[in-house]
Amino acid sequence: MRIIAAFSKLEPVKFVSHLDMQRLFQRAFRRAELPLSYSKGFNPHPLLSFATALSVGYTSESEYFDVMLDEYLSPEEFTRRVNAALPEGVRITSALDAGDFKGSLTPLMRSADYDAVLSFDAPVERERLEAAVSSLLDGELIVDKKTKGGIKSVDIRPMLLEASVADYSENHARLEIRGVLSAEGGLPPELLFGVLEERLGASFSRRVHRKKIEMDWSDLKL
Amino acid sequence: MNFSASTTAEERLERINALISRVEKPTRYMGGELNMRVKQGEGLFRFALCFPDTYEIGMSHLGSRIIYNVLNNREDTYAERCYAPWVDMEALLRESGEKLFSLETKRPLDEFHVIAFSLLYEMCYTNILTMLELSGIPLRSCERGEDAPLIVAGGPCVCNSEPIAEIVDVFFFGDGEELVNEFMDAYAEGRRRGAKKRELLLDLCAIPGVYVPAFYRAEYENGQFARLIKTEEAAPDCIERRIVRDLDRAEFTGDLIVPYMSIVHDRIALELFRGCTRGCRFCQAGFIYRPIRERRMSTLIEYADEQLKRTGHDEVSLFSLSSGDYSEIHEMVPAVLDRYTKNRISVSFPSLRIDSFLKDDLEKMQGVRKTGLTFAPEAGTQRMRDIINKGVNEDDLLRTVKDAFEAGWQGVKLYFMIGLPGETDEDVLGIAELARKVSREFYSMPKDKRGKGLRCTVSASTFVPKPFTPFQWEPQIDVDEVLRRQALLRQALKGIRGVEFNCHFSETSRLEACFARGDRRLAEVMIGAYRRGARFDSWDEHFKKEAWDESFAERGLSVDMFANRRISTDEPLAWQHMDALVTLDYLKKEHERAFEGIVTPDCREKCNGCFGQKCATHCGMHSARAEGSL
Ligand code: SF4
Repeated sequence: MRIIAAFSKLEPVKFVSHLDMQRLFQRAFRRAELPLSYSKGFNPHPLLSFATALSVGYTSESEYFDVMLDEYLSPEEFTRRVNAALPEGVRITSALDAGDFKGSLTPLMRSADYDAVLSFDAPVERERLEAAVSSLLDGELIVDKKTKGGIKSVDIRPMLLEASVADYSENHARLEIRGVLSAEGGLPPELLFGVLEERLGASFSRRVHRKKIEMDWSDLKL
Repeated sequence: MNFSASTTAEERLERINALISRVEKPTRYMGGELNMRVKQGEGLFRFALCFPDTYEIGMSHLGSRIIYNVLNNREDTYAERCYAPWVDMEALLRESGEKLFSLETKRPLDEFHVIAFSLLYEMCYTNILTMLELSGIPLRSCERGEDAPLIVAGGPCVCNSEPIAEIVDVFFFGDGEELVNEFMDAYAEGRRRGAKKRELLLDLCAIPGVYVPAFYRAEYENGQFARLIKTEEAAPDCIERRIVRDLDRAEFTGDLIVPYMSIVHDRIALELFRGCTRGCRFCQAGFIYRPIRERRMSTLIEYADEQLKRTGHDEVSLFSLSSGDYSEIHEMVPAVLDRYTKNRISVSFPSLRIDSFLKDDLEKMQGVRKTGLTFAPEAGTQRMRDIINKGVNEDDLLRTVKDAFEAGWQGVKLYFMIGLPGETDEDVLGIAELARKVSREFYSMPKDKRGKGLRCTVSASTFVPKPFTPFQWEPQIDVDEVLRRQALLRQALKGIRGVEFNCHFSETSRLEACFARGDRRLAEVMIGAYRRGARFDSWDEHFKKEAWDESFAERGLSVDMFANRRISTDEPLAWQHMDALVTLDYLKKEHERAFEGIVTPDCREKCNGCFGQKCATHCGMHSARAEGSL
């Protein structure tokens, strides 16, 4: 059977890289003694795949993976057993039986919502911040993007769906950002923050939390 | 602002986290892994278990994991871990003025009572300096006052710890499982009494296996080490190495911490036994872990079962100096394979020796991942192997290799050494000859019986003379000669199908030889090199030759005088106050036999009397034989 699960990745494990998260889950599955299915071939590995990666240092309450099992387990039982085995900071928040859905989760992704708490190195007035944030939505957002072929200038404006200031105090602000997230790519939040720092003429450290990945579940006959 | 203690601690944590977020591999410093020990409460002794290399390497060291467990099993002590910060973290700590911190609580190291270092190889010494300095702790023991943490160290390098004798307060010689507990008992007692440092050190030096270097002074004559003079009446004349008699019942690792990042040995290690009965004459481990002491198979399997459940690891490794010598090996290999491979747990045998490896076992392993096989003939000719007492012959090697090829292996690693005492060009060329025969063995098999292509790696390291081996008096060959012999071998290996040469001479093998046989004068050399930027000396990309050259010159010393000198067997040795239990007479006798080409049998065939009068006291194998039960 195939299980699709949503999980959160919080503060204690926010520096664990995507590759290390895969190992973390594999080990947790072993501790939970799940009846995992394995790939064929020379170096069999559990059939586990993630919808997408999360940047190192970000937290999230809305990540997805799917995993194949050799025997039936109710999604509730799956959740209970895996959660008992996971380290602090990672939790399965919901799980479902994927039925006969065969595809990958990645193409189901549409967009992602981020909460970014900014801490300014020097105080920034609210008006200035709001002006800079709303300017992100006007016109092009040309950034230098590292690709395999070197550094390329690209416009990330089409990837940015919404951006607003949700909370403010002199040295801190919370932004809500919605960006495209799909199989073809998505909004790179760090590059967006780079532009914002430039337009603001001020630098800030930040904590970024992914609140939600919007998925199109309509292909899944549940 | 509220400056209460908790706020300050929280703010510090916040600052540390900010630093962690800026390095290349944050998980090196993060802590919080599954099975990490957490302790709360007032009045705990804070013990920092430091490993002077990166997290990936330190976390792979079994000994440190054992000591971590032993200490944390004590109610009065909280042992936390700390690893050498990589250069990016070092730079951030210096820039921010933040002190080096433990993984468990992020507490600055200078707030610990005891700071312990594991000394596994000489080339990590400068990292000790980095770690002390980044903690705001003076480097030399004489500069540290009553408030400073006690700096202790254990591990194989303690058998000649003179090069860092002026840095460390207390050394632990030999197995640590019982010794650290005795140390903590005495330490706790001293603290309760409010003992001053000197008083405490006096208490400690009464514990067998404890070496307090400050109670001795070194003298030199004609530029050479002459003698060590006791400056404190109560200090012992010599320090006896500790051995845990019953390894099967000794404390072990407890629940293993499960790292987030991938580490060098990312698996459950089963230490089948400690010690080795072979007596290869270059091998320090073969002498300083004597006698052989085994764990029972049932104990090991119970442990593996439990730890697989507790960690979720997918690999178990049989780990010992020469795993094939384990008395229950032929029950053990099939048992672990049957038990684990069906659950897709792979089993690896890193040091299985060729002459004890049965074909049946190889066939059993077919279902398992074919992680490369490694063999260590060490020398290319029988003459040379007799000198070093490596009881391996060519026929055995070729037969085993053939069996392995038939069982589907196609990757083989062959380890050799060049520069061994008495080596001639013919011996060097013999290495290539042996590799050629291995290659022929593979390609002469019918195509359907073997793998597609051979991958045979020939590695040749440079011989390093080590204390407490029969070769401790022998020089290392000089750089030009190393390079010449390597070129000779490289040329001879050219064109052999499927064979790849991997030789690795670096300046670090010279420095390793120098520090292995060095004396107290090297501490200042090391500090000088450190000030000139020496760090992570075992990592080629970090090795700074000029820093070392300048620092040696500044002190009027040289690497050669320690590494490349033949020491005569009646000269004083800088490590002669350390009693590794194997007698000096025995080492001298082995030294003579080497050059006569006489092989010394394995202890399992015959006791060779390595502990002199004390064979019966120290060695279970000797006693068992004497009682006729062997
Ligand atoms: S006492 Fe004899 S049997 Fe025991 S380790 Fe020494 S030589 Fe080997």
